[in-house]
Amino acid sequence: MIGSEIKRGTAELAVLSVLQDGPLHGYELARRIEQQTNGALRFTLAALYPMLYRMEQQRWIRGAWETSANGRRRRCYRLTSAGRKKLSPLQREWAELFRALQRLTKVSHA
Amino acid sequence: MRDWQELVRQRLSGLGLDAAERDEVHAELAGHLEESYEALLKEGMTEQAAVSAALFQVTNWQDLQQKIVIAKSRGHLMKKRIQQLWIPGFLTFILSTVFLMTLQKLGFRPRIVGGGPIAFLFYAPWLGSLLFVGALGAYLSSRAGGSRGAALLASVFPVLALTAAFLLMFPIDLIIERVIGNHVDFSIVATALLREGIGWLLVPGAALLVGGLLVHLLLSPQSSSQGTVIG
Repeated sequence: MIGSEIKRGTAELAVLSVLQDGPLHGYELARRIEQQTNGALRFTLAALYPMLYRMEQQRWIRGAWETSANGRRRRCYRLTSAGRKKLSPLQREWAELFRALQRLTKVSHA
Repeated sequence: MRDWQELVRQRLSGLGLDAAERDEVHAELAGHLEESYEALLKEGMTEQAAVSAALFQVTNWQDLQQKIVIAKSRGHLMKKRIQQLWIPGFLTFILSTVFLMTLQKLGFRPRIVGGGPIAFLFYAPWLGSLLFVGALGAYLSSRAGGSRGAALLASVFPVLALTAAFLLMFPIDLIIERVIGNHVDFSIVATALLREGIGWLLVPGAALLVGGLLVHLLLSPQSSSQGTVIG
């Protein structure tokens, strides 16, 4: 069972990483994450929006209403400078964690 | 055509946010559901199955409602607290300290009331200024929508900070005296506490509070109507 802190950390990293490429609205953000992780990470509406609102309050992302080419109004989220600053150490921490886990698995298999 | 916004509004009717923000959340979630539904239709689902599958993303709307309110209000509460308490409070603290230091620099002598070990020092102009400082703290807090409690706390903030310093200073002083081997008479400490407490906390606190109360009474209809908005 994955702990809630780890889940939250993974989810935040996923959102920040995807938004690095440009602004996206909620549905598209969830779809991109699912695509880019080959379905390993999936966000339902119930999981996505409370997290987006929390990250917005922390000023890591900023949401603004925009009208798309098909005339639909969607709230698009973009990475703020605070979010960019948060992303690099987060990426480092997760990379370290995965390396450590890989080493551990190799040792236990040897 | 399905009204997704209405669908979300019905399920999140108790969203404890202000009207504009609530509408935004409803619209945003409705947009998400609509896109999910359309994608499912494209995948070949029937209309009814696509609606069910889209709505299946939320198993507990009550729980979602709570999570959204917590996520949205965390920042609001912090922002409100800063505007209603910390900014006015620190301003009253800085103003009262700077004014007292200026008086001391200009050579104003304090008035001595009482005699012997219980002699209180009062800077009359400073005490007078505290009425205005307290009033300013309460005004700024009330203008930011602060409750009566927040406004009065902001007005007496300098004394609260001094009280905290007092409470820390005396036990530390007692410990130091004991460590270096000095005998400390408890009655002397108690007298000093009483004297300094009255001179630097009680009387200035009363002056600040009177200023704060006066402003709060003047602004009370305005402050109570602003205080009802919950973020």
